[in-house]
Amino acid sequence: MSAHAAAAGRRRPRGTAACALARRQPAASAAYVAAVAFAALVVVNPIQVAILLGVIVALLAAAGRLHASLPYVRVALAVGLFLAILNPFFSRGGLDVIWQADLWIFEITLTLQGLVYGVTTALRLTAVVLAFALFNVALEPDDQLGLMSRFSFRSGLVLSLATRLLPVLSRDGSHIADAQRSRGMELDRGNRRTRAAARLPLLGALLTRSLERAVDVAAAMEARGYGSGRRSRWLHRRPWRAADVALAGGALVAAVALLAGLLRGAVGYGFFPLLDDPWAQLTDPWWVVTVVALVVPGVVVLTRGRP
Amino acid sequence: MTAIAQFTGVTYTYPGATRPALRDVTLSIRPAEVILLLGGSGSGKSTLLRALNGLVPHFHGGTFAGRVTVDEFDTRTARPHDLAHRVGLVFQDPENQAVMTTVEREIAFGLENLGVASSAITRLVEEALISLGLSHLRHAPLAELSGGELQKVALAAVIATQPHLLLLDEPTSQLDPVSSEELLSAIRRLSEDTGATIVLAEHRVERCLHLATRVIYMEDGAVLVDAAPQDFAGWAVSTRRELLPPVARLFARRLNGQAAASAADGHLPLTVKDARHMLDVVEGETPRRREADPRTAPGDVVLKTEKLAVGYERAAPLLEGVSLELRRGELVALMGENGAGKSTLVKHFNGLLKPFRGTVRLLGADVATLSVAEAARSCALLGQNPNDYFVRDTVAAEIDLTLENLKLDDARRNELAARIVAELDLAELLQRDPRDLSGGERTRVALAAVACGDPPLVVLDEPTRGMDPTRKAELARTLRRWAADGRCVLVVTHDVEFAARCASRVLVLGDSGVLADGPVDEVLNGSLFFSTQVNRLLRHALPGVLHEDEVEWGVSLQ
Repeated sequence: MSAHAAAAGRRRPRGTAACALARRQPAASAAYVAAVAFAALVVVNPIQVAILLGVIVALLAAAGRLHASLPYVRVALAVGLFLAILNPFFSRGGLDVIWQADLWIFEITLTLQGLVYGVTTALRLTAVVLAFALFNVALEPDDQLGLMSRFSFRSGLVLSLATRLLPVLSRDGSHIADAQRSRGMELDRGNRRTRAAARLPLLGALLTRSLERAVDVAAAMEARGYGSGRRSRWLHRRPWRAADVALAGGALVAAVALLAGLLRGAVGYGFFPLLDDPWAQLTDPWWVVTVVALVVPGVVVLTRGRP
Repeated sequence: MTAIAQFTGVTYTYPGATRPALRDVTLSIRPAEVILLLGGSGSGKSTLLRALNGLVPHFHGGTFAGRVTVDEFDTRTARPHDLAHRVGLVFQDPENQAVMTTVEREIAFGLENLGVASSAITRLVEEALISLGLSHLRHAPLAELSGGELQKVALAAVIATQPHLLLLDEPTSQLDPVSSEELLSAIRRLSEDTGATIVLAEHRVERCLHLATRVIYMEDGAVLVDAAPQDFAGWAVSTRRELLPPVARLFARRLNGQAAASAADGHLPLTVKDARHMLDVVEGETPRRREADPRTAPGDVVLKTEKLAVGYERAAPLLEGVSLELRRGELVALMGENGAGKSTLVKHFNGLLKPFRGTVRLLGADVATLSVAEAARSCALLGQNPNDYFVRDTVAAEIDLTLENLKLDDARRNELAARIVAELDLAELLQRDPRDLSGGERTRVALAAVACGDPPLVVLDEPTRGMDPTRKAELARTLRRWAADGRCVLVVTHDVEFAARCASRVLVLGDSGVLADGPVDEVLNGSLFFSTQVNRLLRHALPGVLHEDEVEWGVSLQ
């Protein structure tokens, strides 16, 4: 090895600080996240939903990506809150009336059951959204591309290019706005509508820049042999390790347990006309297996998940 | 020796263009040559490179006459992807050639396209990473790489495909000098270790000329000179002296300009090492310092910062305690290593960024109390990318837009527009679309767009990046004239030769804030990195001398 290479070898590795899940086998990570998302989609019991949400948040936090997931959380909470507030007013199936009023042509009845149903729906939505946030954390775009390219390489390539170029586009937009401010253009004065109108002419410049970039990228791709015929696929992957097996195994067990639980009613819940006992299903063996199958591999990977 | 590539009477015109980008080019490229391709912006360098890998004419279209062959392939019938395993091209802008999102995946992309077996890809990716010192970045997302690192990845991705011919299209034009130096070192190693055939289009002659085995100089699409480096230097002495490295220009001044015979063997030095050797063997003449023009005292304060703390994290500011004054009549070069906070600092001068602590006063007014648009009347800031400024269809409309923004009356607007057009020689470009102009022209138009309101402070961030030597000299003249007229000009630059030639004062930023602040000949004298070729050569004999115009040759009395 040359001195230069040796020196390079001593340099601090970068990029390996990625989420421990992202350092695992993409197939294992994808399976695990799919199991989490599946659980978020099928579990209805409010306590179980809350537990699941806690698991997902804990996974994001352990991955050090909770902060990065805040935009997803905000969107999920905003939509969830909207549902939680609106839903009780239109769910009339409950028997325990909390508040009743005539508002114009509407007769509004707020019931305990409707309220719990609204809050649970909001939590479920948040869990599903965060499960997909976890997918982005757990799989690097190139790994997503690798998985997707088994089915459609072009779609994967579009995904990869979009992932790479969207931040560049955002940076370009910010630079163009700063350049225009520096020549006396007022972009930050007035209400939102005025500011949007002032920025409208900049979109043309941004579009032009994006098109120029797109042409350059296309030229670079062709110069690098894209479209020359049958591609090969680089199968260079991290070797399967115990953590990968644990992750994939956990995903499989959780999926099977969830399916069984669904059939046995272990994760369902009745809101109307009276609330079922939410605690009754927490000891159901299928639910317990599901939780264990999702939590244990997560803990293993996030605490010992060195490649 | 059999040629790897051959141009035969190639003339090419881009679609919609009125003039050909290549005119009757005939040349051959032989194995293991390192060809330095020189020429101003729009001279045809990039087009020549793109003709070698078939992007011209297949990708760009247009009218193509003549013939280009690479190995046994004729580019009229072979498409770029057919040539990809023989010709590798690294483009100017590293952002515009990456496809994947992580380093090793990016390097593998071209190999996958060529259908290389997976096991071979693993080996080739590893070798490319090692050869360019990128192993520590193998898993790094491209979005987190610096421009220099990204360009190295682009080079690694190309060499992984083991092309017979490596083409580099101004690969350092978007990079700072340190990153440029690293990339050029990598190219030199590649050439020395593997005997690769390389064609390098580049403006930084002082960094590349000694690497080349052959120099091709282009003008208006035609090959004007095709010669060995020393023969090229001999030609440039009499016709394009600005193309020579500073030490070569210094020796070219000997004997009243009879430069071709500047040393015993008639050669000009291309590096400081060569020049030092020649200095030792030159007999009868010694360089001595010319009488310098008297310095003019700077005028009133235009901008003053007090105990400024700036950066992106309040807990860990990039710069702290920055207190400085900029005065009318000064031309200040702001220097410092990459990431030292130069661009960040100047964005506080017109309020684009707000300081964590301290104040910026522009003509006495606290910038924090002004909007950026209001500050623009007194402080013009030209960022690194001139394209960011173009939102109208003509150069004239761009100038009008700024004057409109500044809400000046019609008479004043007409006066200022006429003035900036004359100052920056834009009369012939007024009705052109700024996006259709060459790089140097775009910079002039963007400068006109920010500075047409006659602000007392003009700040330019890396204006010489990717600029050819002729345009650089023109820009230096304009900035010196503005300073002489009573403006204050501040140039953020890594280009030491440019700073030495045009600045009156140099500010160097470092970890702890301002490391040095003083007259250009004091700050740049004796520095390890921030010094010129001529200074490195003559710092002991003639301290403070920075460029060849400050030196004359005289008969030694010894």
